[in-house]
Amino acid sequence: MNASGAKLLAKGRLAQSPARLVLIALRMRALLVLIALVVVFTILSPDFLTANNLSILSKHIAVYSILAIGMTFVVLTGGIDLSVGSVAGLSGIVAGYVLTHGIMIGGIARYPGVAAAIVAALTVSLVAGAVNGWLVSRAAVAPFIATLGSLYIARGAALLFSNGKTFPGLGADSPHGSRFFTMLGQSFLLRLPLPVWIALALFAIAATIAAKTPFGRHVYAVGGNERAARLSGVRVPRVKFIAYLVSALAAGIVGLLIASELESAHPATGESFELTAIAAIVLGGTSLMGGRGSVSGSLLGACVIGILADGMVMLGVSEFWQMVVKGVVIVLAVAGDQLQTRLQAKLLPFLLRSNAEA
Amino acid sequence: MSNASDILLEARNITKRYPGQLALDDVTFRVYRGRVNVLIGENGAGKSTLMRILCGAESHDEGEIWMDAQLLTLGSPRAAAAHGIAIVHQELSVFANLDVSENIFAGREMVSMGMVNRRAEDERSLSALTRLRKPLEASTLASELSLGCRQVLEIARALAHQSRLLILDEPTSALSQAEAETLFEAIGDLLAAGLTIIYISHRLGELMRLGDAFTVLRSGKVVGTAMRGEATREWIVTTMSGRPMHVKTERRRVADATRMLEVRDLTVGRGLDGGSAEPVLDRISLSVCRGEIVGIFGLLGAGRTELLETLAGSAPGFTGDIAVDGHRARLRSVSDAMDAGIALVPEDRQRDGLVPELSVRENIVLALQGERWLSRTKETERVMELVRKLRIEVRDIELPVTALSGGNQQKVLLARCLARKPRVLLLDEPTRGVDANAKAEIYRVLRELADEGLSVLFTSSEIEETEELADRALVMREGRIVAELGPGEMTDVALMNAASHDVAASRIDRRMLTT
Repeated sequence: MNASGAKLLAKGRLAQSPARLVLIALRMRALLVLIALVVVFTILSPDFLTANNLSILSKHIAVYSILAIGMTFVVLTGGIDLSVGSVAGLSGIVAGYVLTHGIMIGGIARYPGVAAAIVAALTVSLVAGAVNGWLVSRAAVAPFIATLGSLYIARGAALLFSNGKTFPGLGADSPHGSRFFTMLGQSFLLRLPLPVWIALALFAIAATIAAKTPFGRHVYAVGGNERAARLSGVRVPRVKFIAYLVSALAAGIVGLLIASELESAHPATGESFELTAIAAIVLGGTSLMGGRGSVSGSLLGACVIGILADGMVMLGVSEFWQMVVKGVVIVLAVAGDQLQTRLQAKLLPFLLRSNAEA
Repeated sequence: MSNASDILLEARNITKRYPGQLALDDVTFRVYRGRVNVLIGENGAGKSTLMRILCGAESHDEGEIWMDAQLLTLGSPRAAAAHGIAIVHQELSVFANLDVSENIFAGREMVSMGMVNRRAEDERSLSALTRLRKPLEASTLASELSLGCRQVLEIARALAHQSRLLILDEPTSALSQAEAETLFEAIGDLLAAGLTIIYISHRLGELMRLGDAFTVLRSGKVVGTAMRGEATREWIVTTMSGRPMHVKTERRRVADATRMLEVRDLTVGRGLDGGSAEPVLDRISLSVCRGEIVGIFGLLGAGRTELLETLAGSAPGFTGDIAVDGHRARLRSVSDAMDAGIALVPEDRQRDGLVPELSVRENIVLALQGERWLSRTKETERVMELVRKLRIEVRDIELPVTALSGGNQQKVLLARCLARKPRVLLLDEPTRGVDANAKAEIYRVLRELADEGLSVLFTSSEIEETEELADRALVMREGRIVAELGPGEMTDVALMNAASHDVAASRIDRRMLTT
């Protein structure tokens, strides 16, 4: 290309640059909102940036982000998992039961230890995920309905298991508890709470799976165009099934972390967590229609939700107003998503043209 | 050419039944190696069913598929792909949310140590796209590609997986002429590289230019085969329709010369998907007189549906003038169009027309929602009047509409449109999915309505229907009206020639490449 051509092109770019800037800002809106929140809360509340507060805040964010990261796969396939909160509660209860009551073998209660409690809790979670996955992928039940059902079933199972009571004292000495169990949610590694490390590790694994493995590709393909995915030879039911397993596994891990943190398992743990997770996913730019979004977006969304919630508590904002603000933020996030889509459609001719030039 | 080694694939005695319909009846289809094998037939002749069977998306009830003296079992798209059979579907199956390289390898990723080998994929997709003369950037999102590029992307998918047999189902229907030209050149390259192609299209020009072997399907049966040189345009058209060429001479008397619908310079910009750069409708001008039946003939993607939807008010954002009975109509919404006296019977009954949960009566009175204070007795009276007038065969108008046959369902839709007493009736493919008797019945009803002064404008992709029903035919191609044929001029060949764009001898003759 000669010099005048380059100049012309640059001029054309300049003319569209405001729109492009807005588009980029919209694409990065979760990050911008996050930065804005941190700045605002730091100014308004001197305690916000203290080590103690950040430690609590990061634990909350860890819980939200693990849930959101797991559910991102389901949402990317075009589904939804409403059962994550209940599954988290059930997972904690199962762990609490195994720790405090042991497992009956031959009429004698045996206390098999922390590892067995964790395995039991995660197994039960995976079973819940398998039921969801089977219902959605094989029995063709709408994801909303299938997981709404398991929301109730898992919560009911948790209440039945514990007879509606809490299993306390999980941090006590064996045989009715374990100090090792409480380490899961309470210990620190390199001055960061262990749950934060777990969340980061899960994030790294999930992001790699989503971006680098055939399964990750297939998740996006199924969400983007299910028919085309089937015709391309993608095993659509299997992809969906695994996505629900992943989501339930993440919920199970969250249940363990909360039970460990509180040293007790409460059957109502995790109520309305599914809504928080969905809010985080949507804030992170993942489309509920499937096919578009990312794991890192969900992490970002979880950070926004966590900081917003904790920050408002610190400022002494009334609980009622907190709800209103959260709702407004979620609606604005989705509206921003629509705006981005429309702006992109408007800019498409320019994008097409630059393709043709290239 | 009938030497056995010339045949790559042979589908023998294939039969496929759908509930209440024999889609394929003892079809034997030979695919010659390294050639362009053309499959022709009217809509519903069974072409797409046969192709779906060959690519593993559907299973056949009887018959065998042989490839290179090997009996194939094609249970899934995966299995067909493993045998080197690839298809580019009529409705593109591109993943808009994935990029070029991800699209090409969707479902068949290149994996090393559990991870997708992105670099190797990019290399192979680029080499496939280069062969197709469209070296697209591997990381471009498919949603940012034009329709033509998306088509190429799908073919590249077949190339990247070393397919031996490539099925192209109406590949040019969404393409501009220049894009189609590039595609033809690419096809020449593919043949030179040893690929075999099955080519489905309605466009005679490109069939004559590309085709080596021709197979004609009608109503699920093979009704003719021919080789290049033997197949003439006349042979294709007459074999396809199953009737000798004839000219419509009988003429329905159009009582009135009052122009009921008048359209001037109607233009609609690019499609919503931002696909091609050409306008969807390009300066359309037409008129329909009182009591006249005008047919718009055109192939898939010619813009027929877009024209009717614009006239029915469901696609605002056009330029040009539309007048009904001399008064300019402002068509910003469907209710605007209804107020102006225009009603549309849509192409897809199930999707855009009927509400399956509702009864026959409820489906008909849907359009009367605007009229307040309609008593149930009056409503039933109105419905019964329409049921009698259109001769809808239903024992009880409270039965669910799904209990009716296709033809009667179509009449229910017609009744709904007539309930608002329109002056112009638009019909998009008025007899789609309707059997022959019901077709004739619908034609009769439409003629009666026209005799009473209703102006009818319908679209069709069937030659026979256009000739049978229309007093006057307009032919559309690429968003323009390219021909107007009076009753004496409506012949199969005239309609078909006007509708298919004929590409003059191209710069590169692919014969030179293959021999």
